[in-house]
Amino acid sequence: MTKKVSFRFLPLVLFVLLLAFLLKGLFSDPNERDSALIGKPFPQFQLPDLNSDSQIHTEQTLVNEPVLINVWGTWCITCKYELPYLAKLAKEYDVKIVGLYYDQNHAPEFGQYADIPAIRIEVKEMLARLGNPYQYNILDLDRSLSLNLGVTGAPETFIVDGKGIVRMHHMGDVNERIWREKLAPIWNEINQ
Amino acid sequence: MIPELGNFALYIAFTLSILLSIFPAIGLKQNNARLMAMAPNLSIGLFVFTLFSFGCLVYAFLTDDFTVVNVAQNSNSALPDQYKFAASFGSHEGSFLLWLLMQSGWSFAVALFSKGLPVDMRTRVLTVLGWISVGFYAYIIISSNPFERTLPYFPIDGRDLNPLLQDIGMIIHPPLLYMGYVGLSISFAFAIAALLSGNLDSTWAKWSRPWTAAAWAFLTLGLTIGSWWAYSELGWGGWWFWDPVENAAFMPWLVATALLHSLAVSEKRNAFKSWTVFLAIAAFSLSLLGTFLVRSGVIVSVHAFATDPERGVFILILLALVIGGSLLLYSLKAGNIKSFGKFSMFSRESMLWGNNILLVAATIVVLMGTLLPLVHKQIGLGTISIGEPFFNQMFTYLIVPFALLLGIAPLVRWKQDKLANFITKPLIVIATSITLSLIWLVVEFPEIKALALLGVTLFIWIMLFTALELKQTLSKVSFSKLPLSHFSMVLGHIGVAFLIAGVALTSQYSVERDVKMNTGDSAELKGYEFKFNHVENIDGPNYDGWAAVITITKQDEFVTKLLAEKRFYAVQRNTMTEAAIDAGFFRDIYISLGERLPDGAWALRIYVKPYIRWIWLGGIIVAFAGLLTLFDRRYRTRKNAKQG
Repeated sequence: MTKKVSFRFLPLVLFVLLLAFLLKGLFSDPNERDSALIGKPFPQFQLPDLNSDSQIHTEQTLVNEPVLINVWGTWCITCKYELPYLAKLAKEYDVKIVGLYYDQNHAPEFGQYADIPAIRIEVKEMLARLGNPYQYNILDLDRSLSLNLGVTGAPETFIVDGKGIVRMHHMGDVNERIWREKLAPIWNEINQ
Repeated sequence: MIPELGNFALYIAFTLSILLSIFPAIGLKQNNARLMAMAPNLSIGLFVFTLFSFGCLVYAFLTDDFTVVNVAQNSNSALPDQYKFAASFGSHEGSFLLWLLMQSGWSFAVALFSKGLPVDMRTRVLTVLGWISVGFYAYIIISSNPFERTLPYFPIDGRDLNPLLQDIGMIIHPPLLYMGYVGLSISFAFAIAALLSGNLDSTWAKWSRPWTAAAWAFLTLGLTIGSWWAYSELGWGGWWFWDPVENAAFMPWLVATALLHSLAVSEKRNAFKSWTVFLAIAAFSLSLLGTFLVRSGVIVSVHAFATDPERGVFILILLALVIGGSLLLYSLKAGNIKSFGKFSMFSRESMLWGNNILLVAATIVVLMGTLLPLVHKQIGLGTISIGEPFFNQMFTYLIVPFALLLGIAPLVRWKQDKLANFITKPLIVIATSITLSLIWLVVEFPEIKALALLGVTLFIWIMLFTALELKQTLSKVSFSKLPLSHFSMVLGHIGVAFLIAGVALTSQYSVERDVKMNTGDSAELKGYEFKFNHVENIDGPNYDGWAAVITITKQDEFVTKLLAEKRFYAVQRNTMTEAAIDAGFFRDIYISLGERLPDGAWALRIYVKPYIRWIWLGGIIVAFAGLLTLFDRRYRTRKNAKQG
């Protein structure tokens, strides 16, 4: 009889074990929180410039002074509303802004490739029309840097200080209120 | 305003679920008929308020109310209306509301259609459903409220990121799967209610069967349509990928299939009772576990971006309570269950026992394959990934005994049969099956492949035995008197046979070729001649692009003309490959248009996939068989109908 009883408890015991693993898995997952990046060095990368295949950017060229990194794309509607304000920031407050161009079409595994010349034309046209806040744009074609940054959509903005440490990750558009309340305090602090 | 109404309705539904989980239970204890009678009414209220709430969410999506966080994050103003609708349950929060809608819908159905059940049983079932509901309503209200506002500052437009997933298949197949997942909660509630009452006679199995069959049929249909959608939309011709999301839906299906057969034994022979209860608990538990795995981000896929561990913990607690609680109840109470039906080593019961063992083994294979990478990482052995080869090999081993049993079992008598009666017949059938398979493969294909031969032999084996069984049964009972559930079994088995043949043939004999073509060029594949006529501009409602016009001939006879398209969606700045498919009962021709090469030629990939339609045909037949059971007169419980 005792043997029979223990047998019936087997599923329960197995389930409790599984539960323990799941609980541990939930908290050890590096991707679970994008804010985990804050206080950490900017991820390493090696990506071409949007406008020239031969010019390569790395984290070293990017982060030797405080910089705002803005994830965007011409396909993103909110980015269109954000651009003029970013341009104003760059011009009037002298904020160094670098664009991380996020392309969502490129999916070689599905047989889809981004049309880079077309993107360049679109970007040029859009920046001419709405204002160009960017020092330069990094093309993250396979979205690897965006993945490492924990980007969930566009637009998103990161503040990186002069030592290359990520200080802020903002999701959504940057506007005057967001800048004043959320980004400016950190920006001013790292620029002192 | 509308989102607030939806939110309010959700709170009312939550309150009703609390009432449902308490008062009818007190009524049971005190034998108070009035309190017990509250259960069906509360269930109806639960459904009505949840439906209203869901309607409000859909409204918020359709009217681009970006003051609602959920809408702002998962939709945008440029989205066509049908995708706005789909987006309302595409997000985490929305999908949980859909889950609740279906959960309450099933409870509603139980309240409506189970008037023939004894009052105490019906009350117990609805109370158990109430307990489950309390947990889920609490979850959605506390940590996943779909109506949360972004006020006072709301975005100009939504930030929908992934237009790739906008497809009609996304509108229909997740709700079907959810119907199946959640439907299993009814089998679960019946099992728990029976455990609680301690009254596990065969009538319990009889009541549970049609509900289980319905949930199972939805699950089957959801999986089938999901597979077909992946094939026709993803553009690379695959139909099953063994990824965690698919596995999460496949495991409950396997267990529910075992449950369906085990319930038959419990109903007819009063045996396997404790086992049946366990399967009912397991089927729903795996649905919950699957949802947890997919939604919590425990299993990281490349596209599972930031997830919230708080939510994960909440679901985990919910899982611990529902699954842990029911397993504990099972461990404590199952000892009291006595199965009276005795059977010998060779009987219908032992055959179905084999079916159950094999299905559970298959479930364990999938569960291990899905969870092992996680466990591996947790115990510090690094990251591994378990892929298709593992699953394919294991399933090849499992399907052979499964299909052999499936053929014979319906002919074996309940309780006891003579093994001696089952020596000559199977030998003749297997010899016939192998011979016919060999002829089939020799005539149709250039070479004979072992796995294809195996699959086709199993197909013919099942078909022959099914025919034999039908003939034998019809010699005793006239066609018109044969119960629908018998047809349901016959059809279900034929569906599985088609599925096996389809999988074997298409995986062994599919051919593909990458070609570079200019206007006027031809390419040959499997006897078909593909002629690249020209490329024309296409101008759709919200896209434009190119279509390659390809004429296909076989031995100079015209077969078909296909248009393989490359579309550019202007609003979404998105390129889509629309594969051209010439579907046929015996083969599919599948062409996807690749890149335009610098010299003006086009890259194309052409496939010929024999018998691939049989996979979905099989799935649809199986689902139909499940739905057929519902119309069997034996399962229609009428008011005051005599039980047992």
